[in-house]
Amino acid sequence: MSPLALASQTLFVFDSTLFTVAAGATLIGATSGALGCFAYLRRQALVGDVISHAALLGVVGAFILSWLVTGEGSKSLFVLVPGAVIAGTAALLLARTIGERTRIKEDASLGVMLAIFFGGGLALLRWVQRGKPSISGRAGLDDYIFGMAAAMTRDDLVMIAALSAASIAAMIAFWKEFQLYTFDAGFARSLGLGARWIDTLMLALLVIGIVIGLQAVGVVLMIALLVTPASAARQWTSRLSTMVFLSALFGGFSGLTGALVSATELRVPTGPVVVLIATAIFIVSVLFAPRRGVIAKARAQRRARAEVAAAGDHSMGGVR
Amino acid sequence: MISQASSTGLKSGIASATPALEMVGVTVSYDAAPVLWDASLTLYPSRLMAVVGPNGAGKSTLLKAALGMLPRLAGRVRIFGKDPSEDPSRVAYVPQRTSVDWDFPATVLDVVLMGTYGRLGWLRRPGKRERADAMEALGQVEMEAFAKRQIGELSGGQQQRVFLARALVQNADLFLMDEPFAGVDAVTERAIVGLLKSQRDRGKAILVVHHDLATVPEYFDEVTLLSRKVVASGPVETTFTRDAIELAYGGTVSGAAFAGR
Repeated sequence: MSPLALASQTLFVFDSTLFTVAAGATLIGATSGALGCFAYLRRQALVGDVISHAALLGVVGAFILSWLVTGEGSKSLFVLVPGAVIAGTAALLLARTIGERTRIKEDASLGVMLAIFFGGGLALLRWVQRGKPSISGRAGLDDYIFGMAAAMTRDDLVMIAALSAASIAAMIAFWKEFQLYTFDAGFARSLGLGARWIDTLMLALLVIGIVIGLQAVGVVLMIALLVTPASAARQWTSRLSTMVFLSALFGGFSGLTGALVSATELRVPTGPVVVLIATAIFIVSVLFAPRRGVIAKARAQRRARAEVAAAGDHSMGGVR
Repeated sequence: MISQASSTGLKSGIASATPALEMVGVTVSYDAAPVLWDASLTLYPSRLMAVVGPNGAGKSTLLKAALGMLPRLAGRVRIFGKDPSEDPSRVAYVPQRTSVDWDFPATVLDVVLMGTYGRLGWLRRPGKRERADAMEALGQVEMEAFAKRQIGELSGGQQQRVFLARALVQNADLFLMDEPFAGVDAVTERAIVGLLKSQRDRGKAILVVHHDLATVPEYFDEVTLLSRKVVASGPVETTFTRDAIELAYGGTVSGAAFAGR
């Protein structure tokens, strides 16, 4: 890249549209990175995936509803996020109910709900995009599949910032309860701390962490931004607070760079770019982290083997 | 020290006629067939009771029902005369060691501190006092040196000691313990038994899901033989008979497990 192009791009960062996109994507990445730690530790990756895929039906549904009410489809997050929350939560509650009331295993019922809601969302989306009544404002709605950070408006940023701040504040306030419930739910229940409330609150935050990212990252790949930074962060630390902080950092960085690359350079969907960056961080973490990393483990094993061998030689020498 | 402890235990044992735990006709079912059927037992303070029975006899279910964690189809549970949900602070629950993920990012002290969360309530964080209590509990299980250790680095016996310390710091009057001796080394088993007996001597009531019939008479005062129904429940001397055991285990008990009776 020539110095001139670099300079113009640096200036471009201060362009207000790009600032909106960069700030929004950073917030989304950091929030889902932080909240994703609890999903990761509770083994709820599949739950998160169901929520994000199912949300597509809610997004398209809310869009259609806004068209029916006002005569013009709205793509504002203030309209679409409530729809995403309702659909995502409904899919999850249905899957849980099926899991509790029948002999169908929970992962199977989660998979079924994902397919039904996502399939329904895709069908409805296609009707909106190609259907006979030409719904005004429909262009770009399909960006929700793979994400388009560049579509973010100032209003969207306000919504993202408010929800991010609220969910991070709740996470910090209920830190002790979240830690306890994530580690040992049975023990938490025995303390009479209102374990059901903790569970519901954690689920609500998970839903928020997912839906705020759908526009920028897309329903298909949102789960990666939730779980990949958390998995990477776990490699570097054995403290929950450090893990959450690192994961927020990794997520924020992935979101920011992904949005910038997608918005300025290639005009490709943001989701895949964000996921590629998060994955790069993950691979480096898995390989190079001290203690838990693949290389560190191999080295420790080799050292142990050498020590055993040396001790063996030594004792044999001593006997002779 | 020991005589003082046992005399207070004796006093509270006489003073309280209220059972620490009373279950009457408790029936629990997950699906159609009940896993626990018409179970009744009474445990008084200063008593150490084992719950034994074959696999799938409903032992863990009995504990969870006692805690009020499971919906009951029928029956009544009273903890010190009250509904289990009314005063959870009097009960310390020790779940099966294998029920949690020990790769969770936490130190030994972090886990023991969780025992103070009930008394702290919502939002309040553990402070200096809670930390001191937790260290003292770790001392009782001889694990102070491990306070800063990652829980992922512990052996099975050490994990069980940490769980026990977490229960001790709760300062409860009734302990409900699920298989505390499973997969634990002999030294730890003896240490835990000693600790439970000293807690009993201080007036605590302790209910332990146990799997080794041979050690029942040595470790416990009372025993409940369970096989979906309560086959027998009472003092070990009168209750732990060959007939009752065979009834619970369906006549499959080997003589070796029952030597000397």
